[in-house]
Amino acid sequence: MAIQAPKTDLRKRMFNVMLFFTALFVILGLYILKIHIFDGEKYRTGAIEQQTRDYQVSSARGTIYDRNGKTLAVSSSAETISVNPEEIKKAEYAIDELANKLGEILELDPEELKPKLTKDAKDVEIKRKVESEVADEVRALNLKGIYFKEDTKRYYPYGAFASHVIGFTGRDNQGLGGIEMVYDDELSGVPGRVVTLKNAHGTDMPFQEEKHIDSENGLNVVLTIDETIQHFAEKHLANVYNQTEAAEGVATIVMDVNTAEVLAMATMPNFDLNTPNELIDEVTLRRLDEIEDEEEYDKAVVEAKNKMWRNKAVVDSYEPGSCFKIMTMSMALEEGVVTPEDNFFCPGFKEVADRTIHCAEESGHGPETFKDGVKNSCNPVFIEVGQRVGIEKFKEYYKAFGFNDKTGFDLPGEASGVFFTEEQFNIVELATASFGQGQKVTPLQLISAVSAIANGGTLMKPYLVKELTDEDGNVVKKMEPTVVRQIVSEETSKTVRALLENAVDTGSGQNAYIKGYRVAGKTGTSEKIPRGQGKYIASFVGFAPANDPQIACLVVVDEPSLGSYYGGAVAAPVVGKIMEDTLKYLGVEPQYTTEEKTSIDVAVPDVVGLDLAAAKTKIEDMGLKYTIVGGGNVVTAQMPSFGATVNAGSVVVLYTEGTEETATVTVPDVTGKTLSEVRTILTAQGLNLSIVGAGATGEDNDRTIAESQKPAAGSAIARGEVVEVEFRFLDVEGTVED
Amino acid sequence: MPGKKQKGSAAKTQKTKHVSGYRRSEYMEQKVFRKGGIDVGFLTVVIVLLVLGLLMVFSASYPSANYNFGDGLYFIRRQAIWALIGVAAMIFTIRFDYRMYKKLAVPIALVTLFLLAAVFLFPAVKGARRWIGFGSFSFQPSEMAKIAVIIYFAAGLSNTKEKIRDIRILARYWGMLLIVLGLLILEPHFSVCLIIGFVAVIMLLVAGARVRHFAVASLVAVPVVIAVATRASYRMDRLRVFWDPFIDKQGDGWQIIQSLYAIGSGGIFGLGFGNSRQKYMYVSEPQNDFIFAIVCEELGMVGAFVIIALFGILIWRGIKIAMNAPDAFGSLLVTGIISLIGVQTFLNIAVVTKMIPTTGISLPFFSAGGSSLVFLMAAMGMVLNVSRFKTQIVDIR
Repeated sequence: MAIQAPKTDLRKRMFNVMLFFTALFVILGLYILKIHIFDGEKYRTGAIEQQTRDYQVSSARGTIYDRNGKTLAVSSSAETISVNPEEIKKAEYAIDELANKLGEILELDPEELKPKLTKDAKDVEIKRKVESEVADEVRALNLKGIYFKEDTKRYYPYGAFASHVIGFTGRDNQGLGGIEMVYDDELSGVPGRVVTLKNAHGTDMPFQEEKHIDSENGLNVVLTIDETIQHFAEKHLANVYNQTEAAEGVATIVMDVNTAEVLAMATMPNFDLNTPNELIDEVTLRRLDEIEDEEEYDKAVVEAKNKMWRNKAVVDSYEPGSCFKIMTMSMALEEGVVTPEDNFFCPGFKEVADRTIHCAEESGHGPETFKDGVKNSCNPVFIEVGQRVGIEKFKEYYKAFGFNDKTGFDLPGEASGVFFTEEQFNIVELATASFGQGQKVTPLQLISAVSAIANGGTLMKPYLVKELTDEDGNVVKKMEPTVVRQIVSEETSKTVRALLENAVDTGSGQNAYIKGYRVAGKTGTSEKIPRGQGKYIASFVGFAPANDPQIACLVVVDEPSLGSYYGGAVAAPVVGKIMEDTLKYLGVEPQYTTEEKTSIDVAVPDVVGLDLAAAKTKIEDMGLKYTIVGGGNVVTAQMPSFGATVNAGSVVVLYTEGTEETATVTVPDVTGKTLSEVRTILTAQGLNLSIVGAGATGEDNDRTIAESQKPAAGSAIARGEVVEVEFRFLDVEGTVED
Repeated sequence: MPGKKQKGSAAKTQKTKHVSGYRRSEYMEQKVFRKGGIDVGFLTVVIVLLVLGLLMVFSASYPSANYNFGDGLYFIRRQAIWALIGVAAMIFTIRFDYRMYKKLAVPIALVTLFLLAAVFLFPAVKGARRWIGFGSFSFQPSEMAKIAVIIYFAAGLSNTKEKIRDIRILARYWGMLLIVLGLLILEPHFSVCLIIGFVAVIMLLVAGARVRHFAVASLVAVPVVIAVATRASYRMDRLRVFWDPFIDKQGDGWQIIQSLYAIGSGGIFGLGFGNSRQKYMYVSEPQNDFIFAIVCEELGMVGAFVIIALFGILIWRGIKIAMNAPDAFGSLLVTGIISLIGVQTFLNIAVVTKMIPTTGISLPFFSAGGSSLVFLMAAMGMVLNVSRFKTQIVDIR
């Protein structure tokens, strides 16, 4: 084998091959360098993004308590269940069977589940907020590709209770209304995070660089709401709502007049916090049922839902009507332009500028003192008083009462009210504004202002949250009552209290009267704009006890569609009932007037077995009267029986030996009769009377009428039994007529 | 089988005897063959690359092996066995006189052609017929074809010598090449076509073929390649994905994006051996064509440079062996083998770094795969065998 001569050429070319590859490799090196310099960060970030799973560890949401520690909203642990369809595919599960099994346990439609189980993805959520017991059932199936994540579920143990106040939470446990929304940050705490590495199939990598950031649990919110008072308020409010079927709903607020803490706040229609998207109100549902057109129905449903979620007590402003006379009289008394004994004359109207403004009592109240004017809710008197205050002063006070501003309350969507503009507010407007027409206020603004007058003239900032506590119950933040400003003097406050107490005792507000508790208050009836449609808002605002006010209560009935629309007839009894329950619950000592003492409730003593003389003494000692049936000497039976409560002065029927059985009588129908007529009828039958409502003032006039009775007319009861009769004061109030 | 017999025949024709420690030919006057020690530098680089390759296959394949087979050692166990077989093959070829390949060039070529044709008798795997045999006993004739073409070209070119400057002689080689490439295209196995074509061109040029003749050929070839490439729409899609893989991140772009993510994640010094995250099923089959991405992730840019440098040293030592080879056949044989490694290394890393569009080319010593490793190690042995023979000017007394 010969060696070629031109071997040097071959060598040179081979050397070139080496240079060629060296050049290629240098290019590779530079290219890699280029990647690192220009795109390294981008690729690194992309890689980390796909490799890590960022778990949010939810922090326990705080509990909402009432002022006495009753739980109103609480979170319990739950789980979110998700699947990794890739792993399910790999495990070769029968999809139909799997969907049916999971659907059954989780109460999901298997048909909707299937696409999720076969989706081209690695993490598909199938159900949130699954209770732990249910999740455990799924866990027990021991399936591959199913993942569980901690979650929490919000429970509202009282359902629809205080729904507008508490509010509710959404899918991600975020507050969507009420306190849940306003205090969302405090309640939710700070969620923690866990970062784990995952492989391309979504499962964890064996070597873990887990990062933990601990979660911080949310704070508890303690409300100023008293569960019991809220309960009273809701019960009575529901009654009036169902009776009147108020088209625009009803609302009430109960407030501590000294601190402006809200003790109860309710709106009807309401909703169940556990299912906030469902219409539960019967009146609304009945109305919806009447709608035939489907499109119209859907629209109505949306409207109805928006209405039921609306916290009327805070977000709706309305014309306060005569309730506003409390403000007018306060400013007038404070300014010294009127005294309770000042004389006025009401011809049934008053001319202001070129307008004639009528009184509700078209025939006129005639000559009356200011005190009577308040009692009669006489518009001409208040127009006159408003004029004495003057435009400038009126505006000043109006602002001082806080009607121009939001109160800064703890609930969302607060309205600020509507008042005349500077140019608009002239003598005619002053006249109508004096009796509450033309301006709009929110229920919250009104009760705050009334509370200010009741407590001695200091306007307080209304509030709903008493304190924030941590999970161990330590108080983290305590809310204190906040003084906004002094509006009127203690002296004025005292005078107004007396005038308003008089209005309840003898005047338009009689239906709010409660025996033993000195209620002061004012009715209001306003015709909604545009006027002339027969749409009214009936309201009553009051406080008690009048000599040392503790609580204030406002009830607004928006567009009552059944029965009366007068504030005195519709709203006042509700306020009376809420106040009565509340004051008793709060342990406020009853103070009886002289007249009341005569009709005070006493317990019937046990006289059975006593001889007649002893029985007579015992009964008379209690302030009761008696009649004797039979000729014996020893009492064998008595009616009412031992322990029954009756008005003082009632008659106890005593049966002596020899009388076989107690006599029965048929209960007569007394509805529609006046107090004295009722007394006469029942006495004639040998029955005792227990007065409830307006009649309890003892004021006997032809406007105080029996509204209902118990037992019903026609039933047979023993002679001497008590018939409970509820009286209503038929109120007439002013509306403006141009 | 051929070893001893061949050695005997060599001794017969050349009649060597020991002269002061040298074995010298009595028929040669100026230059003699000396059978000396092998090139230790080359062997060292081969062993270092083989060991590094095994370590990386172990690291890169563990998670996916575990996931797919429930056995993290699935690939490395096989690869280690193949490496042992490869070492045995290398030891054999180190001892096997390379000049015998020249004589065996035609039989080897015929066997290879037969095997390349035989793949069509076996079922297709993933749409391509590249294998003969079944299951674990299958091997890719295309791997053998690479070596066979190199031997055949080296043998032929060392005979034709300067005549290769004549285009008619050159055309003959093109013709032979087209037969092999044609069979490979039918499999289809484009990446091996590319490699063999590349290597063949280098060998022809080294042998002295004129560059302008290639220019004429490319006038024909380029339009054909473009026509083939653009005819199938999926190839155009692939090209679009090459320009911006993120347009189809979950689909065609996935593999290259995952590769780039791995390279980016590695940074300068890497996450450390065994610490790749991208091998957790992000880079699919991380022990195969994309193993260099895992190298970059675990060993960083520095590690990648070191490995590229090792390949550079291998090429440098290899070309040195080729330059010192006693005959043209030895030079061309070594040049071919070294070019094969150079081309494959470059193309593989170029794919992994998205310098060129994705095509299935394995990285020598690193990518898992039995037949390729065994043929590679055997080829390394051939180079080392050539390194045993040197020319020396002997003083004739």
